[in-house]
Amino acid sequence: MINLVILVFIGGAIGAMAREFLMLGVPNLSDGFPMAILVANIVAAFLLGLVTGLHKRRVVSDDVNTMVGTGVMGGLSTFSSFVYGSVVLMTASASGAAVAILYVLISLVLGYGAVRLGIKLGERGAPAKG
Amino acid sequence: MRPLDVMWVGLGGGAGSLLRWWIGRVVGERYHGGFPLATFLINVSGAFVIGYLSVLFSVDWRDRYGSVLNAGVLTGILGGYTTFSSMQLDAAKLEDAGRGKMAVGYLLLSTAAGLIAAALGAALARLQG
Repeated sequence: MINLVILVFIGGAIGAMAREFLMLGVPNLSDGFPMAILVANIVAAFLLGLVTGLHKRRVVSDDVNTMVGTGVMGGLSTFSSFVYGSVVLMTASASGAAVAILYVLISLVLGYGAVRLGIKLGERGAPAKG
Repeated sequence: MRPLDVMWVGLGGGAGSLLRWWIGRVVGERYHGGFPLATFLINVSGAFVIGYLSVLFSVDWRDRYGSVLNAGVLTGILGGYTTFSSMQLDAAKLEDAGRGKMAVGYLLLSTAAGLIAAALGAALARLQG
């Protein structure tokens, strides 16, 4: 139990710091489109799918699954900034509202595609291993 | 960004993730239905709090660091607490269990409830002035 607490804490810390660095490195688009959060969420969804698939095949242990899946990917992805950013854009202007709706739809569709792709690759094994 | 900001983000992210993990366990012990209730409750509550705190402390949603509130609480704790990736994984699992409609409904409901919660949180903070 205490091991899991440490794994989740450290994983979440790593994920959140990675998201922070992503936000510094990926600029938001000129129309306010929150590109950095989109990238963090899509990458996290893909990697969570991958870890889940690998865990299913027992390639990764329960501990690694908890640390990476629950910790790192949970810390890297964020739902609160996703919806709050959308609300701010929506209430700012008509064009902002259009951007926000596009952002929400793209996030949901790409995020789902990413987790699906990750699971598929993880269950099948990494391409390098054949 | 200063090293101190990175530390706050990390500490907050770790604490927020732990809280998410713990709530997931508690909800999982009590609720055994097919709906991904834990992630839903976590995300919607986190959305409310970020809307509330951002307006209360006049934080621009793009400002991610510079103070303990920005870095530690908003980016760290709330970012670590809420999760977009687990929501998508929940949906994929529902689809795999033959509940494709519930998967779509869950994603749309989470997003709609999250948007409303964030707006309500912001509105409450404005009311308080």
